[in-house]
Amino acid sequence: MKLLTRYNRVNLFTTVIVMLVTGIIYYQAISLILISQLEKDLVVEENEIFEYVSLNHHLPQVFKSNDQQITFTEAEPGSVKRGFINTIYHNYDNQKYAKRHHHRDDEEEFESGRGLITSVTVGSKYYKILIVVSTVEAEDLIKIIFGITAGVILLLFVTLFITNRLLLNRLWQPFYDLLRQLRFFNVTDNKDIPLEKTNIDEFEELNQAIIGMSTRVKSDYKELKSFTENASHELLTPIAVINSKLDTLIQTDSFSLQQSKLLSDLYSAVSKLTRLNQSLLLLVKIENRLLESNDHIDLKSHIEELLIQFEEIFLDKEIKVSSDLSEKELFTSTYLVDILLNNLLSNAIRHNYPGGEINIKLTSTSLVIQNTGALDELKQDQIFIRFHKSTESEGSGLGLTISRQICENLKFTLNYSYDRPYHTFTVGF
Amino acid sequence: MKILIIEDEKGLRESIEEYFTEAGNICETASNYQEAMSKVSLYSYDCILLDITLPGGNGIDILKYLKKNNNTDGVLIISAKNSLDDRLEGLDLGADDYLVKPFHLSELRARVTAIIRRKTFNGSNLLIFNEINIDLLAKAVKVNDQFIKLTRKEYALLLYFLANKGKVVSKNAIAEHLWGDGMDLANNFDFIYSHIKNLRKKLIEAGSNDYIQAAYGMGYKFTSP
Repeated sequence: MKLLTRYNRVNLFTTVIVMLVTGIIYYQAISLILISQLEKDLVVEENEIFEYVSLNHHLPQVFKSNDQQITFTEAEPGSVKRGFINTIYHNYDNQKYAKRHHHRDDEEEFESGRGLITSVTVGSKYYKILIVVSTVEAEDLIKIIFGITAGVILLLFVTLFITNRLLLNRLWQPFYDLLRQLRFFNVTDNKDIPLEKTNIDEFEELNQAIIGMSTRVKSDYKELKSFTENASHELLTPIAVINSKLDTLIQTDSFSLQQSKLLSDLYSAVSKLTRLNQSLLLLVKIENRLLESNDHIDLKSHIEELLIQFEEIFLDKEIKVSSDLSEKELFTSTYLVDILLNNLLSNAIRHNYPGGEINIKLTSTSLVIQNTGALDELKQDQIFIRFHKSTESEGSGLGLTISRQICENLKFTLNYSYDRPYHTFTVGF
Repeated sequence: MKILIIEDEKGLRESIEEYFTEAGNICETASNYQEAMSKVSLYSYDCILLDITLPGGNGIDILKYLKKNNNTDGVLIISAKNSLDDRLEGLDLGADDYLVKPFHLSELRARVTAIIRRKTFNGSNLLIFNEINIDLLAKAVKVNDQFIKLTRKEYALLLYFLANKGKVVSKNAIAEHLWGDGMDLANNFDFIYSHIKNLRKKLIEAGSNDYIQAAYGMGYKFTSP
């Protein structure tokens, strides 16, 4: 969930709750005020009746009107308790009443009303008085007020939502910029994370922290790389000594079968060590972009030459090679392209089986090298990792790492796919 | 031939010296810059094996000194630095060849032999060993005045063996010589076997002696019977 969404959700939720609560309180307060106003009117009317009765000693004439109705009924003395009630108000629309006199009971409109029950004694008679006023107008008023309030709430709601959205988006912009920078961060390139302009302290700090971290990471990485380079370099001399001593050793006298087997194994191990070391050095050099140049390469003839070089191996392993090459020119380092082609082709041979196939297809946009081999798909995300190799592989485990690094440097893509029975490596130019 | 080995690593220096020392060869060594400078300024050599990183100075400076004084000694740089630039710089400055550590002594020997051959047999491009006669320019091989047809690899192999006469050459060294170290598929020595078998067959069929012998399963030796 995005921060903005989350924030908006919480914000809007609390706003709604607060608005609802205030709305209810508001409604209650207004209706309380209006009802008490009506009750005052009822008391005024009651007083008028009392005054009239005390002056005239009989009940006043009762008029039916739209806003209030008064009824007198005889009752047992002392049986009436004074009080306000919610009741029904019969609205006799005058015109309607005149027209449809004959069934006026049906035509009565019921509205909610507020009534006052009180009592008066006229002479010896005790009367119960019911004064009822319609509360419709008051309710209408409440409705209007409530409507306006609801409208205001809605407006507030929308404005809040929009401003939050705009403001927060803008406020968080430096954060998103930083995030993008982080996403493109690459320890191997020399580009530093730039200082984003912001006047928000938190983002400023975040930016500083990220810059500091990236610098540290880069310097650590550089150190590690130079360590690898130095270590590999330092190893060269002892390896050279071992090699030369072995070469000298085999000149001395004759060896038993067992001794010569041991020597052969030593030779193999040393040559493996040499290649591994050279691969490591090469990788560091490629990563440091020390091998870049801008040669003109005719890729088609390059590949053809390479195929001739490998011919004996193809014959020996009984591998059927078919190639479909179209013209393609590159302007980049011959050295790197050679290593790349060599690695990919070597892999295609090494992981093949006798009687297998290799298909090479060169178009203007891609070079596809397919080979038969193990009947399992390789793991796309693992094969390019250093020293990841199949158990039976005789290679250094750096071939594909180097290939990928070269492709990265040359701005090519290198992808693997498996389409039974072919393992396919595609270089996209 | 007279060779100067300028190399600070004792183990390597001694191995090279031992490998090159035989009847007719004189090997001298220098283990640091000063020693090397004094030797190259006093004596003349057929070939100087020059390490670039030396205590007390840089091998490149020795090379510059040699070229400034129009010294005609052959120079082969042996360096741990395998960068194209270093290689080009060395060759531009007039070195005859550049070999990257680690290397096989047989490879070094083949390179040195080639340099000396170029230097000393000016004009003559014939390499003669008993009944085998090689025209280096035309890359043609005659046995008892009869041409034999060799493939590129067989020819390279023959030259390699001749440069390392009497030495056991390991299969690894042969593989690296024939295919270069870029090709790490050479672990499979069957190729070498078939090349050697073919070369041997062609030489013998043309009436040559059987010089190439397998040495305890780990290499081959070119030797006069």
